[in-house]
Amino acid sequence: MRLKPRAGDFLIIAAIITAAVLMALLLFEKDSIAKVAIISQNNTVLDSVRLDELEERYTIDYQGEYPGTIEAEKGRIRFSHAECPDQVCVRTGWINRPGQIAVCLPAGIIIRIEGKDTDVDIIVK
Amino acid sequence: MLISLAVVLSYAERFIPLDIIIPLPGIKLGFANIVTMFALFFLGIPSAVTVTVLRCVLASLLFGGMSSLLYSLSGAFLALAVMILLKLGYNRIFSLLGISMGGAAAHNTGQIIMASLMMKNTAIFSYLPFLLLAGLGTGLLTAIITVNLFRIIEKTNSVKLS
Repeated sequence: MRLKPRAGDFLIIAAIITAAVLMALLLFEKDSIAKVAIISQNNTVLDSVRLDELEERYTIDYQGEYPGTIEAEKGRIRFSHAECPDQVCVRTGWINRPGQIAVCLPAGIIIRIEGKDTDVDIIVK
Repeated sequence: MLISLAVVLSYAERFIPLDIIIPLPGIKLGFANIVTMFALFFLGIPSAVTVTVLRCVLASLLFGGMSSLLYSLSGAFLALAVMILLKLGYNRIFSLLGISMGGAAAHNTGQIIMASLMMKNTAIFSYLPFLLLAGLGTGLLTAIITVNLFRIIEKTNSVKLS
């Protein structure tokens, strides 16, 4: 028995690529000057930060089963520390573009960067 | 027959920890799928389901919590369902390549859907396109390994392909 691709295989590959490209196009956001990072836990917004206007390092501690710390600098944000078992969130590293996200699944935390023109209250500290 | 089954199972077991040893951030090689495909092709659907459930439960007990069990089960079961469907067209329409890649894509989709449900947030879907494309690569790798595994098993004649 050898790996002999059949016609249907290429159909599957084409379908997966099409789905991925379509989704990427739908979700793609242009880079903008104004960037707001929205930190939410299970659909409750914990905090939002104007990344582009941030002059000093800013940290947010979150609680829950797996607590952790989020660190923001001018133009970028990341999970700097987390108590979760997989550490996927910390290894994601810095995110800096609108549309990008960093997630901690065990803690239920999502950081999402949005461009200008969002109706979110902006808190600058 | 039973002895050969046990030998094959212990052989397959050696592959199970591979997805645990290589924990890339968020993205996995999906070697556990080799075991699932083996069970699906040689032992039948009930065995494949059993292997999948036990693998998910064990991995979650050892490395995660309740939430990771839900993620891995949702991904693994959607992948298994898709592979069972694709196997219907095995050798005529699809080869192991398509089955493996389809399984990988289904796994990613299942996990993302579960994640967005649990976090009540659809933002996580922005990961899916990248996961889908990565799944093509890992699916190809898994298919190559599985084909070679199947060839060895057929050569040694321990089990017949069902």
